[in-house]
Amino acid sequence: MNTSIARIGEQIGAQIDARNVARSVALIFAVLFATATADQNWQLSRMPWGDPDLQGTWTNATMTGLERWKGFDALVIEEALAAQLEAREAGFSEEIDTFAAGDLPSGIMVGGYNSAWLDPGTRLLRINGEARSSIIVEPADGHVPYNVRGFVTMWLNLIRSQKRNNPEEQLVGDRCVAGFGATGGPPMLPVLYNNNYQIVQTPGRVTILVEMNHSIRSIRLRSSQGGEQDVKPLPDPIRPWLGDAIGHWEGDTLVVESTHFHPQQGLGTAIKHKLFVGKDSLVTERFTRTGADEIHYGFTVEDPHIYRQPWRGELAFRPSNGEIYEYACHEGNYGMVNMLAGERARGVNGLRWWWRLITRTPEEFSHPQLSGARFDR
Amino acid sequence: MIRSASIHVLLIATCALMLVMQPALAHHAFSAEFDAAAPVTVRGHVTRVEWINPHAWIQVESTDADGVVTTWTFETGTPNTLMRAGLDRHALPIGTEVVVRGYQSIDHSCTPMCKANGRDIAFPDGRKVFVGSSGTGAPRDGLDPKERR
Repeated sequence: MNTSIARIGEQIGAQIDARNVARSVALIFAVLFATATADQNWQLSRMPWGDPDLQGTWTNATMTGLERWKGFDALVIEEALAAQLEAREAGFSEEIDTFAAGDLPSGIMVGGYNSAWLDPGTRLLRINGEARSSIIVEPADGHVPYNVRGFVTMWLNLIRSQKRNNPEEQLVGDRCVAGFGATGGPPMLPVLYNNNYQIVQTPGRVTILVEMNHSIRSIRLRSSQGGEQDVKPLPDPIRPWLGDAIGHWEGDTLVVESTHFHPQQGLGTAIKHKLFVGKDSLVTERFTRTGADEIHYGFTVEDPHIYRQPWRGELAFRPSNGEIYEYACHEGNYGMVNMLAGERARGVNGLRWWWRLITRTPEEFSHPQLSGARFDR
Repeated sequence: MIRSASIHVLLIATCALMLVMQPALAHHAFSAEFDAAAPVTVRGHVTRVEWINPHAWIQVESTDADGVVTTWTFETGTPNTLMRAGLDRHALPIGTEVVVRGYQSIDHSCTPMCKANGRDIAFPDGRKVFVGSSGTGAPRDGLDPKERR
């Protein structure tokens, strides 16, 4: 089935190249028909006011990273190799949890967290049945196309975030302001755990509750039945966490444009990805319900000050295992205290601080289970 | 002149860092909070379970040969992940005897109590309390034919 869809897709490409539009349209219908018959019982359900129903609790957890792993040239991974990679990932989980009896090892690289503490996804991302080597689909190399300014800005922010002198300097995730990494986005990307989202629709508005740090994205819809007809962007000084999001429906696809981000939110970096999105970048997301168990999620990020070109990614949201739980973070954020106390206990400042940062790479970087190097070929 | 020199130093340092560091600085990074050179093994009984985000903490009181009692608190996973794996705060009742292996916080002062990352928590007979594996706690992703749908 998947192969036949892929073949039809290839044919579509060939036909468009030949500018044979009529036949392409016929083939697109063939794909739509093929997709529809994949889950014959499924029909797009709608809210009482007619908008497609995206509601539910969803997860985007996947072992596929934002950027392409080294050694992988193509976006699509063949199924046999995909199965091997998934088995290897499972093996890493076993390995990290099976320390020999007796005292734990000591050293720079000790493995960090038990995998029982994590929930990073056990399978590769699959779009239309094809396993993917990166979430990024454009540019073709699967990497964020930073320009020089964007690259340097990202790294300076990253380095600054390693200073643990006071709470205000820490990343928004460490401060319990928003989830770490780009979990709340946009674009909403999977991290090591808590990759769960609840979507609630009301006339004129779509609300997404992001589990990590209980962030809420309130998306105002343009020209939706029962909604405000004339949705205006927020005035420039008002820059909410996760940005100012305005959406509209294109057919059955929810298109959301977000910008006006809080300037302190720029660095959306976590163990699974590093990403910098500017305060005036434009993120366009496209949510399409493609089955009872899937929302296709596409996004484009644009900012000529940070990227050489607009870049694009794809993810699948699938039903989450259970409800969204509360994420009251401040009350239990002993991590902040421990990090600040740790920095003081080390007492390393000035050039010695830099030297330590350069020479003692935090162990999360190099651990086989956590670093992108685990799939080096 | 001085300014230009310091900009150069900053640029060189940045380039050096970019060469050395991999893309993975993180929230509550293990290495920012815990001392990988200070592994600990603590045997005692559970006195408190703080079932809170961003990490649940488990307090254990340990008594040494001289009768001196030390209180440790161990960081574990996020309760949300543990609950999806079928565990709740009652998985480890107060008074349960456990052996915890982990890494002490960089701040070794043990004030108001000793703190550590709980790498694994086991009953005295060796059975682990929390076990992570590829199938445990992972969200349903619809791709495994054996998954309950």
